[in-house]
Amino acid sequence: MARAKLSEFKAKQILTRALGIPFTGYEITSENIHKVVTINSGDKNNQTYVVKVDQGVKGRFKKGLVAIDKPIEQIPSIIKKWEQNGYKQFYLEPFINHLTQEEKYLSIERTRDGFKILFSQIGGINIEEHPESIQEIVLPYENKSGEDVQKIIHHLSLHEKSFTSMLKAFDDNYFAFLEINPLLINADRIILLDAAVEVDSSAEFFLSDGSWTSRDFNDYSSSTKTQEEKVVADLARHSTAAFNLTLLNPNSNLFMLLSGGGASIVLADEAFNQGFGNIIANYGESSGSPTTEESYLYSKQLISLLKKSTAPKKSLLIAGGVANFTDVRKTFQGVIQALEEEKTNLQKLGVKIFVRRGGPHQAEGLNLMRDFLQKNNLFGEVAGPEMILTGIVDKTLNFIQE
Amino acid sequence: MLNISAIRNIDPKILVLGNYPVIQSILDFDYLSRKQSPSVLAIIASGKKFQKYFFGKQQILIPTYPDIKNLPDEYKKQINLCLNVLSNRRILSSTEETFMTLPNLTGGVIFAENVPEKHALEIEQLAKKYQKWIIGPASIGLLIPQHLKLGVIGGVDARQFLQSNLLQVGDIAVLSASGGMTGELMNVVAQSGRHLSFALSFGGDRFPVLTPKDAFLTAEADSQTSTIIYYGELGGYDEYEIIELLKNKKITKEVICYIGGAIATLFPQSPQFGHAKAMAKNDKETAQAKRKALKSAGAKVGETFNEFVELINQGKHEKIRLHIVSNLQNMMDKISQRKEPLITTTISADIDGQPTLLGQPLLDLAKNNSFANIVGSLFLGRKLLSKDTENFIDIVLKTTVDHGPYVSGAMNTIVTARAGKDLVSSLAAGLLTIGPRFGGATNEAANHWLTGVSNNIKPEDFVEQIAKQGKRIPGIGHRKYRVDHPDPRVKLLLDYTKSLTEKRFTEYALHIEKITTVKKGNLILNVDGTIACIMLDILSEKEKLTDEQLKQLVNAEFFNTLFVLSRSVGFIAHFLDQKRLDEGLFRLPEELVAKI
Repeated sequence: MARAKLSEFKAKQILTRALGIPFTGYEITSENIHKVVTINSGDKNNQTYVVKVDQGVKGRFKKGLVAIDKPIEQIPSIIKKWEQNGYKQFYLEPFINHLTQEEKYLSIERTRDGFKILFSQIGGINIEEHPESIQEIVLPYENKSGEDVQKIIHHLSLHEKSFTSMLKAFDDNYFAFLEINPLLINADRIILLDAAVEVDSSAEFFLSDGSWTSRDFNDYSSSTKTQEEKVVADLARHSTAAFNLTLLNPNSNLFMLLSGGGASIVLADEAFNQGFGNIIANYGESSGSPTTEESYLYSKQLISLLKKSTAPKKSLLIAGGVANFTDVRKTFQGVIQALEEEKTNLQKLGVKIFVRRGGPHQAEGLNLMRDFLQKNNLFGEVAGPEMILTGIVDKTLNFIQE
Repeated sequence: MLNISAIRNIDPKILVLGNYPVIQSILDFDYLSRKQSPSVLAIIASGKKFQKYFFGKQQILIPTYPDIKNLPDEYKKQINLCLNVLSNRRILSSTEETFMTLPNLTGGVIFAENVPEKHALEIEQLAKKYQKWIIGPASIGLLIPQHLKLGVIGGVDARQFLQSNLLQVGDIAVLSASGGMTGELMNVVAQSGRHLSFALSFGGDRFPVLTPKDAFLTAEADSQTSTIIYYGELGGYDEYEIIELLKNKKITKEVICYIGGAIATLFPQSPQFGHAKAMAKNDKETAQAKRKALKSAGAKVGETFNEFVELINQGKHEKIRLHIVSNLQNMMDKISQRKEPLITTTISADIDGQPTLLGQPLLDLAKNNSFANIVGSLFLGRKLLSKDTENFIDIVLKTTVDHGPYVSGAMNTIVTARAGKDLVSSLAAGLLTIGPRFGGATNEAANHWLTGVSNNIKPEDFVEQIAKQGKRIPGIGHRKYRVDHPDPRVKLLLDYTKSLTEKRFTEYALHIEKITTVKKGNLILNVDGTIACIMLDILSEKEKLTDEQLKQLVNAEFFNTLFVLSRSVGFIAHFLDQKRLDEGLFRLPEELVAKI
């Protein structure tokens, strides 16, 4: 997989440990909220708190998903309100009183040429209004110290040790992107008011104990997914092959069961490029030589979504490029198995199926598919590489428009 | 950097790391390209010593080693290309090892997906340091028609090579982020009636070691390429580097491209597509922006895929050097007819109706070689390199032929013969007696000498270790002979070490004898131990076998073979002798049996 957002809780836990500063945050769910409130109740010099939705949502502040300077007793009701909107993971930490002018900005990104550092003496929500204040320095991997580092730490009044520890934590924990905004730096301490981290999800195996795991990816968008999408996400997690499924318009006409990372994009693009974006029901692809069983499970989810669509005329597009190593016969056997189970329903709905695929054992796979579709009155078209990749999209669109 | 012309000028010798069906497809490509021999030289994988594949209809064995370190020196020198199909966990370390170990490596392909970004960047640094090129990670590889298939590129089913016309040389370079689209574009090129100069996929990761920019410069530098076909996707800024090249006239060849991912705008948040890089975080990274920018820099850009294919079909008439590819169907038939053989052999078979041993007609072999030479050659599976080996085998065969009727094997042959049984039964009875206490200790002795020497164990420690386990040292000790009454056969055999220079194993065995004879006078180096150590030395020095190869011989019980062969003569002689004497059924006299 690719870059994934870490929960703020985990991000801060890793960073504070690296910086040698105390970590005072809590990971909150409806289950532990009361316990945390009890622990923090009582006289603590009128300490107030910050609570945030911690599910990788962009622009939380503007969306009202951050509450600042609240007494601990109010936290449960704030969380309850957010929960009603479907959020499940929250982050709580003591509020630190400070002046807006003290807020600074720092981000680090892993790029080809080195760590790209963006930094500014202006931070917080004001940074967007002052993009000109941001300075950029790329620290090459083989030379992570020297003049450039001095420039950064002087500009931010940051201890050199803090900066190098942060950079080391970034590298050792396979971070891809880190943004601390706002960053507070007093004479004697450094405070991460907000930290957003993206990690390289393919590195999980290489991490040392106490670092992150894929359980620390709190993605809000995944919690709003349909059952079918969740099953596919689960399938992807437990397979060497790759699967994804996103429902775009549940009641649309065109359902797509695509194969191959690149060809899938091209196929979906074609419908979009021709101005039919609105009839595309889903985007979904499998690649990397799935087994027959996996192809079956994947197809089942897609068919389930198709059945639920209220569109009057529906078609299923099963298409992919000329595979290099994915066995067409094996994967089609799985698809056919799923179609077989639902063939009566599909016939009733008047669904037509359009197929175009190439690769190892394509002749056998395409013949199986053609025979099945013709026998069951589901046949729209079956073609091999002699048809241009996107030709099958045209045929499908024609059918829907007829 | 990757230089296609330079690769066209080398004879590909590929090391494959990991075992994967891709290997057969490379061999099929080689065969259909009418190469005389396969381009895959060796495989790194655990388990077997060889992997079986087909070259055309013919089964072949590709040598397989557990680790790059185990590759013979000649292979290390010959290998010039590398295909890494190991899992993402082992990519960084194994790639560095190939760089360090293979002096004539030019570069290689990394197939694994999910290689951490950090590792990809480290590999890039290493590649610079060692001056190698790397395509990948997550790359299906590099294909040069008629010359090289380095990866699954072009397919794993030989029929695909014909469909996509991958065996004809043309002038179109296909460059793609996506492996699947590489196959698709090769198919489009084939259907347009044009042919490839080369094709490669740099992979859809965020930091491909060979960048799209590098790939474009490679295509520009390749004199055979006149058109570049490019498939890119949303995400990242690679296309802007290509645009710079176009604007600065660093790319002058015709460029036709398609950028996938326009559909991303349909999603509420820009989605992560299948490839790690395929996600647009800002406008510049969208497919639409890239298309526009490429167009303004002079590239031909398909707004739809159909339009893109149209642009390829319109391409200027190419000046191709067509290789005549006839009779391919015939060759394809051979591929589809092949059957997994029931038996595989390297030593002998009938060739053109003639019994042939080790590549020589049996009669030639018989006329020109001693029996000892033929025995040694067949046992090693190749012709002996040295006369000294032959001489030693000869003396071993002679000295172990018989040792009287007293020994247990001869006894059993005699008893069986006297029971009225036939030749083969009587011989078998004797042979079945050979084992750890009688005649069969040579191999175990060789195992001990080899372990001690190749692990640099001090002889004193070695003796101590075995003594602690309460075991005897194989090859040491005799019932009859003592240090003051030595075995004359041992003395005779030791004369055969005179032509040796190092004598690592013999020196070691003699050192051990010195230690053990201090403890007890009959703990001398016996015939088994002597044959073992001298044979090890001769095979090492005269037959140039590595310690690893010697270990394999030990595992196959090679060091017991000469005794078994030679003593068979003795057993047969005892059988015949008993028949000649017409001896009756043997029965033990009662006084020689103790009832307790």
